[in-house]
Amino acid sequence: MSWQWFHRLGSPRWFYHNSARWLAWLCPIAAAVVLGGLVWGLAIAPEDAKQGNSFRIIYLHVPASFLALAGYYIMAIAGAVGLIWKMKLSYMVMKSAAPIGAALTFIALFSGAIWGKPTWGTYWVWDARITSMLILLFLYLGVMALQYAYHSIDAASKAGAILGLVGTVNIPIIYKSVDWWFTLHQPATIKFTSAPSMHPDMFQPLLVMIVGFYLFYAVALILHTRSEILRRERKTSWVRELLNEKNQDVADKKVGKS
Amino acid sequence: MKMYFASFQDLLTMDGHGIYVWSTVIVTLLIMIWLLVAPILSRRALLKEVARDILRERARQTSPTNTQGES
Amino acid sequence: MANSINSGFHAWLKRDLLLAYRRRGEAASPLVFFVMVSTLIPLGLTPESARLAEVAAGMIWVMALLATLLSVDGLFASDYQDGSLEQLLITPQLLPMPLLGKITAHWLTTGLPLTLVSPLLGLMLSLPASGYLPMICSLALGTACLSLTGAVGAALTVSLRKGGLLLSLLVMPLYMPVIIFGTATVTYAIDGLNWLPPLAILGALFAASVALCPLAAAGGLRITSAN
Repeated sequence: MSWQWFHRLGSPRWFYHNSARWLAWLCPIAAAVVLGGLVWGLAIAPEDAKQGNSFRIIYLHVPASFLALAGYYIMAIAGAVGLIWKMKLSYMVMKSAAPIGAALTFIALFSGAIWGKPTWGTYWVWDARITSMLILLFLYLGVMALQYAYHSIDAASKAGAILGLVGTVNIPIIYKSVDWWFTLHQPATIKFTSAPSMHPDMFQPLLVMIVGFYLFYAVALILHTRSEILRRERKTSWVRELLNEKNQDVADKKVGKS
Repeated sequence: MKMYFASFQDLLTMDGHGIYVWSTVIVTLLIMIWLLVAPILSRRALLKEVARDILRERARQTSPTNTQGES
Repeated sequence: MANSINSGFHAWLKRDLLLAYRRRGEAASPLVFFVMVSTLIPLGLTPESARLAEVAAGMIWVMALLATLLSVDGLFASDYQDGSLEQLLITPQLLPMPLLGKITAHWLTTGLPLTLVSPLLGLMLSLPASGYLPMICSLALGTACLSLTGAVGAALTVSLRKGGLLLSLLVMPLYMPVIIFGTATVTYAIDGLNWLPPLAILGALFAASVALCPLAAAGGLRITSAN
């Protein structure tokens, strides 16, 4: 079996050159889906019978939560691939995924807190979902801080990958524990409108927003990875060539050549 | 698809919940835009840095004080 | 004899116990912390027995967790500084076994004393009578989990400056299930429910930790030579 495509995939240079093409069509699609879904959810979908219009925050809160959790697994898988196949590009993806995931977790927490005020009268409730999100934020910050603290990039990547894997094993345990802890201490009076029982008019824009956030995540991850590639490969000849090409283009434009 | 709200004004106030929804939307969009802009800015800064490194190296190579005796 | 699968365990267990004995004062500091800080609780909250009884189980558990967290930093620190960690990394024995020995020694010198002193603290914080046995059982299993998980964090941060702060950040999320089920064991008993199920889950966490944490810690230690 030819593994050539897999090893080519691991070349930072290949990724850098091809990702520019991917972004050309990915960006407009992502923007269209996110903005379209947002308009749909904020302005067109009907309001909730119990919560009124504040439930519209769901169109940001739920996609952000999904991506926050999915992003951690993407980061951990990238780390695992890097550990197993010693693929530099995979480590770069892992490093890029961390701040994006942390930002999305923050969005989930922030939107959840603001949603809580009109719904339950308080900004912070120690319910299972918010507590799990908070713990996820700590897990992300830990991976970021650990990589930052190491001097050698190689050691930093390996440490980050190991911590990511440790977190992966623990996330289901933590989520289940917090879930159980919450039901232990509080009767189930507080419940978010769970997706399947939502009216389709309210559920469809939510699906669109979730897809849109996945696309947004892909764009952000590619952009961050490209930047990381340049940072780590700046001494290589292909980056120098890239710069020469760019300077040549600029010079051509100045002279007025096509 | 027609808008749920009667007017644009209603869309902004959302029966009193407008401030919650719109503050969330604004903060979220700002963070998302930052996630897209920051890597682009750092990429440009990196390219400039690499350009400077190249110039510095070239200067060192062609500099008259760079003799064979320098280790 | 030198290459049997568990030959590293006993050797390093004895070594670390001996080292801890020689520095008894230092080794006792988590225990002292535990007792001292638990005295702060009534001062900060209330001297009323009834109100203390409500929070006693959780408070004792939180204090035990903090005491362990502070002590886990030193698991590899002194070995790293005097070079014996590098010796550990190049021995022919499988790395997880000596690590398990070190972690066991750590538990014997921190977790176990905490567990044995907890009834005294229970008395001071008006822990209801039905909570004592569950407290001891849950702390025994729980502090073992905390030592094991803390070792993973310690292994990942041993070569860093100011690794201690980072260690707390890394290890906190991993500690949460332990404290959730540990406190639940005690509160179940106080409320008159069967306290064995949460204890069983704690046991499962312990079993998983014993199997996986030495491996993860070994992986983390191998990185230190590259830093």
